[in-house]
Amino acid sequence: MSIVAGNTAYLDRKEEAPRGIRGLLFHPAAFGVLLAVALTISLGHWFVGQAKTEITTDQWNRGVIVELMALADAAGAIETADKKSASEKLTTMLKGLPGTDDGAATYRVLRLSGARLLASTQPNDVDDMAPPRRLSRDEKWLFDLGQSLRASVQTQRDEGIYRRRQIEVEELDGGLVRVSLPYFVGEKVTGIVQSERRRTAVAATGNRLLAAGLVIGAYLLAIGALAAVGRERRDKDVTRHKPWALFAVGLVLLTLSAAVYSRSEMGDLTAAYTSLTGQLAGEFSSVKDRLGYLAGQAGVSLDPTMENRWDVDLFRRPFGVIDGDGNVKGAALADKVSEMTDRLGSALRWNWGVGLIILVFFALGYARRLRRTVQEHRSAYFYVMPAMLGMMVLAFFPFGYGILLSFSGQTVLNVSEPLADLMVGFQNYVSILGDFSLFESTAEGAVINYQNFYWTLFITVCWTMTNVAFGVTVGVLLALTLNTKGLKYTNIYRVLLILPWAIPNYITALIWKGMFHQQFGVINQGIQMFGGEPIAWFDGVFSAFMTGLITNGWLSFPFMMVITLGALQSIPADLYEAATIDGATRWQQFRHVTLPSLKPTLIPAIIISVVWTFNMFNVIYLVSGGSPAGANEILITKSYKIAFEEYRYGYAAAYSVVIFFILMFYGVFQTRMTKATEAANA
Amino acid sequence: MNIRRNFFAALAGLWLVFSWTSATAADLVVWHAYRGAERTAFEKVVGIFNAANPDINVKSLPVPYDAYADKITAAVPRGRGPDVFIFAQDRLGGWVEGGQTVEPIDFFLEDETIEALLPGMMEAMTYRETVYGLPIAYKSPAMIYNKAIIKNPPQTTDELVQVAKEHTAAAGGRYGLVYQYSDFYYHSALLNAFGGRVFDPEGPTPTVDDPKNIQSIDLMMKWFKEDGIVPPDPSSTLVTALFNEGKSPIVFNGPWFISEIEGIDVGVTAMPTVNEAGGAPMKPWLTVEGIYVSAQSGHKEEAYAFATFIATDDESAFIRAVEGRQLPSHAGVYDRPEVSGDPVLAGFREQFNNSIPMPNYAEMTLMWSPVTTAMNKITKGSASSEAGLKAAQAELSASVAALRTGR
Repeated sequence: MSIVAGNTAYLDRKEEAPRGIRGLLFHPAAFGVLLAVALTISLGHWFVGQAKTEITTDQWNRGVIVELMALADAAGAIETADKKSASEKLTTMLKGLPGTDDGAATYRVLRLSGARLLASTQPNDVDDMAPPRRLSRDEKWLFDLGQSLRASVQTQRDEGIYRRRQIEVEELDGGLVRVSLPYFVGEKVTGIVQSERRRTAVAATGNRLLAAGLVIGAYLLAIGALAAVGRERRDKDVTRHKPWALFAVGLVLLTLSAAVYSRSEMGDLTAAYTSLTGQLAGEFSSVKDRLGYLAGQAGVSLDPTMENRWDVDLFRRPFGVIDGDGNVKGAALADKVSEMTDRLGSALRWNWGVGLIILVFFALGYARRLRRTVQEHRSAYFYVMPAMLGMMVLAFFPFGYGILLSFSGQTVLNVSEPLADLMVGFQNYVSILGDFSLFESTAEGAVINYQNFYWTLFITVCWTMTNVAFGVTVGVLLALTLNTKGLKYTNIYRVLLILPWAIPNYITALIWKGMFHQQFGVINQGIQMFGGEPIAWFDGVFSAFMTGLITNGWLSFPFMMVITLGALQSIPADLYEAATIDGATRWQQFRHVTLPSLKPTLIPAIIISVVWTFNMFNVIYLVSGGSPAGANEILITKSYKIAFEEYRYGYAAAYSVVIFFILMFYGVFQTRMTKATEAANA
Repeated sequence: MNIRRNFFAALAGLWLVFSWTSATAADLVVWHAYRGAERTAFEKVVGIFNAANPDINVKSLPVPYDAYADKITAAVPRGRGPDVFIFAQDRLGGWVEGGQTVEPIDFFLEDETIEALLPGMMEAMTYRETVYGLPIAYKSPAMIYNKAIIKNPPQTTDELVQVAKEHTAAAGGRYGLVYQYSDFYYHSALLNAFGGRVFDPEGPTPTVDDPKNIQSIDLMMKWFKEDGIVPPDPSSTLVTALFNEGKSPIVFNGPWFISEIEGIDVGVTAMPTVNEAGGAPMKPWLTVEGIYVSAQSGHKEEAYAFATFIATDDESAFIRAVEGRQLPSHAGVYDRPEVSGDPVLAGFREQFNNSIPMPNYAEMTLMWSPVTTAMNKITKGSASSEAGLKAAQAELSASVAALRTGR
């Protein structure tokens, strides 16, 4: 403890604190409040801006989708009625759509069978490129898009879950937006309808004035509070004596400003959403009239009594906010609004958390300590910088990404979707750690469920303990033997005994796997030579466990032997002499001289060896492969199987994080224990 | 000296990287996992293509098989992969679902291309009704027999059991038939004969405990327990040993087995029909090797032209068959006397008529572990065929559901 205090003594030394106005303005607590509130509000401001932009663009997209869904219904009806005249009728129909005359919107209708462009209002599709025609080679993307939408519809029907979008909204260069969706003849996806048009860039932001006012107000109030406290105790640095009081003031300011901001913006957002929905309802009615008329001209009718099947999300699920007559449904709208505000609210609460961390950092004096440490040891930090950067990129980033992944439901089926959409919270951890179904009852009675985490953990712990015990025992025994005085050819023995360690362990593992083969393996051949029954090594839980243990024992004893041998040779001979003079027996010498002298070397070696063995992937994976039925899987091989055989990346990441925490817990525990024993020895 | 050499080595390395990433007009890179004769034949075919198409230059790059699939999964979506690659159909579903890996080729595909191929092959290259690759070769087990012992290979399972019983003497380690029946892959022949399935054809819903699957396993167990014509614990080494020592005259195995045969005059023919399944033939799962265009390639049209050449060119298919000992998907090549007169190639071609492409669903990889456990339990007698498959069905359904919902 004294060492730690000695290192940080400089942090507490007297420093000429700036006084007066400047001292107040740059006081860490006030600065902390400023930074925390500014960050919380500006992040919130950004989120609100995003949300506002999103609802505006979403409603715009929904307007296009409503129109295209209506067009798709018409196209389906026209194709059903008569395939031959479909192209002609659709071309006429497209001409009557809004935006075609002035080129504000262009449309395409593609039939997948034969890759035929049935109708188009694209400026290029005239003369010899005029539809109907087969798509040209440059237009392969259009066909592929249609195929992928068709596959999405089919996937949804097969699986009954919504994981692939059935409506594609692409943002092209220059603010152009392309919306494509499938049309059906009966149940079958026959083609796609598509529209391209320019969306005016929406740059909605939150209330700037309110945000700025809140930040400045909170800062001023913080300074005021400081001044008030400071007046009472002018002679002393306030933060050093009353950090908690200032922190409490800061916390109140932060919470208040966040609450005021979020309340006001939520109100704004709700109003905006409601008015946009009203607008959309108007668009829906006009689409219904216009398309209904055009469809009538083409000799088909769009179901007039329909529920609103056109206002849908990207999975073609109806929103249900606008009814078939173009009226807004109040209750449904309220649900949608609260869904949106809940989402924003949770984002804002996270912001508040971030602000809180900053506040703690500054107001409670951590920032000051950090600044002083960096100043004091500037050159030291400079020297470790390259290594720190390297660690960031190579260790901390993948590690952080792994942790992030562990909260997601990423699998091979949704790997192309953004991670933010796949977040499942603690669900992976709950299903790993909260599954206690260790026994299954089957027709043959209760059997152990080998897939359960706790069984695998049990096997891993058994595996680690037996292996380390085996390695240490054999290693120490061999080292003691080699250390015998007057033993000849020691060097040769040493080389021979180190060899298992020197050969790459996967080669050794594969050789042992071959030796355990039931018919041709040398071990069973040996057993048979002495009249025994051959053992089916990989069929029983215990025998398969033994294959791993034997292989890994063979691989791990040389390490322990080398370590022990080194330690043995550094024990001074006078200790043994003194012991002999005192009349100690050989056993007493070993017990009271050799073992205590080995301890400082052996304990770190054992710690390392435990971690290695715990994650000894090669031996388990290559020798028994976890057989029978995954019973001998250890945590790390299990996690590999989940990731690369079951393709559940998020779940496997959670598994790895659990392994990390187990090892970290062990590491901390072990370090404490070692320290305790060292202290007792000292 | 040393420094200078290192410098040049580094320079050469840089040049390699640079020239690879910035390929000019139509430099195509094709990845494959061929070795030995297959590789030589394939490279020869690539040479022919390059000579015939001066504006396209294809470089073939062999990749070690163990890391091949993962390499494609990791490299191709990030634009670091080849333009064209060759792989069996079993990973196709996963790559399509993952996205950005395999280019759909329906749009390019012409009827003549399909007509040049053996019928039914395209099914393996099709995922959710979209075609992603062209089949170039196939592999499946067939009936391989020792000509010195078996004069007339059995046509039906009744004959098979009868012939096998004549050559079985368990005490002397002789068995009339040997194949890895406890391996679900080899069992697929019987499974398909009964019309069994592991996934619903309408979509990837597991149907492992289908009654037809159970029937097929019961027949296998009858051969093992009642008839005693197959040895216990059949491993691949045991199959090879028994056949090479002349202790077993008949095996069910694939073309890869041919190179392991020593000193035996072999015949290859289609597996027998199954009397218990109303005379339907045994239909092993067909592994189809496809050639795919990378979704990230900058020369997709040239890549497709190369793929079509490999799949449909007469002469190159002939070279791959005769020199590479492959079974090309090309239909016409089997009419040529060098191929139709080759007992091995002709025998496997005959089996092709009775075979079913192995499903290419992404969910297929999840199936192996549960069914292997089930087959082990059933053959060891620790579970009935029904209980074993029911447990596998439950496990597979759970992992498929978990895969889809992501948790």
